[in-house]
Amino acid sequence: MNVTNQSIEQGTLVTIDGRIDTTNYTEFEQAMNQLFNDNVKAIYLDCSGLTYISSSGLRVFLTVQKKMMSIGGKFLLFAMQPTIKEIFDISGFSSIFSIFETKEEAL
Amino acid sequence: MKTNSLSFKIISRILVFTILLGAGIFSIYFYFSRSEIEKAARANAVFLAENTIKKIEEVIRPAEMIPDNLSWMLESGAIPKDSIMPFLAKLVRNNPIIYASAIAFEPGVFATGVEAYAPYAYRKGESVETTNLWSPDYNYFIMDWYQIPAVLKKPHWSEPYFDEGGANAMLSTYSTPFYVNQQGKRVFGGIITIDISLEWLTEIVRSVKIFETGYAFLISRTGVYVTHPDFNIVNNHTIFTRAEELEEPELRTIGRDMIKGVSALTSIDLKHLGFVWIYHTQLPSTKWSLGVVYPHNEMFAGLRKLTFTILLLSLLGLGLLFLLTIRIINHQISPLSKFASSARGIALGNFKTELPQIGNSHEMQDLYNSFEFMKRELSSYIVNLQETTSAKEKIESELRIAKEIQMGMIPHIFPPFPNLPEIDLYASLLSAKEVGGDLYDFFLLDENRICFAIGDVSGKGIPASLFMAVTRTLLRSTADKTKSTAEIVTSINTTLSLNNDSNMFVTFFLGILDIENGELSYCNAGHNPPILIRNNQEVSYFNITKAIPIGLFDTYVYTGERIQIGPNDQLFLYTDGLTEAEDVDNKLFGDELLLKVIREHASASPKAMIEAATKAVADHVKGHTQSDDLTMMSIVYHGKQRK
Repeated sequence: MNVTNQSIEQGTLVTIDGRIDTTNYTEFEQAMNQLFNDNVKAIYLDCSGLTYISSSGLRVFLTVQKKMMSIGGKFLLFAMQPTIKEIFDISGFSSIFSIFETKEEAL
Repeated sequence: MKTNSLSFKIISRILVFTILLGAGIFSIYFYFSRSEIEKAARANAVFLAENTIKKIEEVIRPAEMIPDNLSWMLESGAIPKDSIMPFLAKLVRNNPIIYASAIAFEPGVFATGVEAYAPYAYRKGESVETTNLWSPDYNYFIMDWYQIPAVLKKPHWSEPYFDEGGANAMLSTYSTPFYVNQQGKRVFGGIITIDISLEWLTEIVRSVKIFETGYAFLISRTGVYVTHPDFNIVNNHTIFTRAEELEEPELRTIGRDMIKGVSALTSIDLKHLGFVWIYHTQLPSTKWSLGVVYPHNEMFAGLRKLTFTILLLSLLGLGLLFLLTIRIINHQISPLSKFASSARGIALGNFKTELPQIGNSHEMQDLYNSFEFMKRELSSYIVNLQETTSAKEKIESELRIAKEIQMGMIPHIFPPFPNLPEIDLYASLLSAKEVGGDLYDFFLLDENRICFAIGDVSGKGIPASLFMAVTRTLLRSTADKTKSTAEIVTSINTTLSLNNDSNMFVTFFLGILDIENGELSYCNAGHNPPILIRNNQEVSYFNITKAIPIGLFDTYVYTGERIQIGPNDQLFLYTDGLTEAEDVDNKLFGDELLLKVIREHASASPKAMIEAATKAVADHVKGHTQSDDLTMMSIVYHGKQRK
């Protein structure tokens, strides 16, 4: 898994490549915690490179979502692969998160 | 000593180096010594020859003075004619070196009319006799000793000769012309001779000794040996006949040079003497040539002896060096073998093993300190390891107990309701770790209704297992016959969500089946939709309303659904540990494969179906480590059985 940050006009653009599973979800969690420390108000998460997510990874997504909700910020996901979207759909998470088809729609 | 031991290696290298160094130094020494000795020998050969010549000349020069003086006395008329004979006798008597002396007059010089007169004085035993040399049988005018100086008008030394019957010794005659005044003119008067014994000459030359076999020799103007250590050669051989006899053509060349009067140092390899240096030079008076023979090998005999002594001493020295080095090295490295045995002791776990006493060498002190350090570190490491191991064992044992407790929480006696022929139920739970976050449960709400649930806590291990325990406890405490599935799930969610700072969540499926009429009500909180198998053949997923997992938002309200199932319809519930089981290439088991397996076993009993799915997953992962908890539950409804 590889997480990269990029500051854009609207906030921070985060790109995830690879898998988030039980063995590496803490890395993802730390990367996101760093953003909170930097007082980021809007996170745009590019999921186009995300190939797998375990429930541990979903938990981190939830934590970010709750955190952003509590500070009145934004957490937007976009460009999910169908398999990932399916996981979000089955678990009902699609109703919790703001998920967009493309980057342009998210921005 | 073993050839691969450290001391042997050190010693052999030192010895080889020392021998090479010694050999090098000695070779240089030997080379320079040789050349110095050779230089000295050459100089000595020249010096010896010159010195011998000088000694000979010291005898010959005064002898030559005698006839020279006599010549003057005759020319000046200082000797009366009648006293010539007694004068000669006295001359011979007074000069031991002179064997005989003669004055041979030209015709008419001694006295008018006297054609030949040669007064002659010679030794006979102890006395000196006189006579007239001339006789009809002895015409001295044609003799070499007379003719040569007469013609050359200068003194002449004859070839040496052996005076048989007279002196019985080697002699040489010195002849010098004299002149007289006749009618106011200086005319040739005759020849004065002295015969000189050459024994003194032999003595002088023979006294030259060089090493063992070196010697000096003298040859005449024709190459005849005048002196030689071998008496048989003297007067019987020339240097040329000698060269012929010894088959040494180079000797002939040397002979020719000697006759020419050349002074030179040459070398020659003689068969009977070996390699020799020969220095030859001429006697200024007689024009004879003196040769000094220097044996080359003997020249270096001293050096050879010295060399031998040095080599012997070096060998002795090397032996001593060898023994001393062995002693020193063995003494210095002896602690090493003691260290080795200490190390074995330590390796066997005996940390009280004493380290060897060592000397004060810096390296050994280092080694000692390192060993001491190793011993301490090992000892503390072992203690740590023991503590860690016991702590780990404790944790493992606690985990085993936790697993037993967790497993004890879920029903695991099958068939669970032997008194209810309407249904058959089977379930299995395989944790990826000792304890897991999956759960299933089933129990009767009343005599007709069975409540069942399956859930998957986010994450794995101990945190998930605690959350699972809480969820299962909440399920048991919340579910009763008065509540709908949606009410039960909503209630559990509210309780779980409060104070859930860790944001853990549970995907949860809850169902209540009325075995009286086949009505199935259910509520799904984000869990994988179960599979429904109708009439042992039609396989499909449940249609479910999307809802989030429980534990996230306390105000979330879940909705329930209901369907009607008929006799022999079967339910298959599972967690994502089944569909997301991965092989080594991270390829998921997947929905397709699952549906295929279920279809193939559509008429199987719940137990057989779960075992088939378990086997299919095992075949898929092919021994790859199970990454997630795997839980399955299957219920078959046989329809109403009781009247």
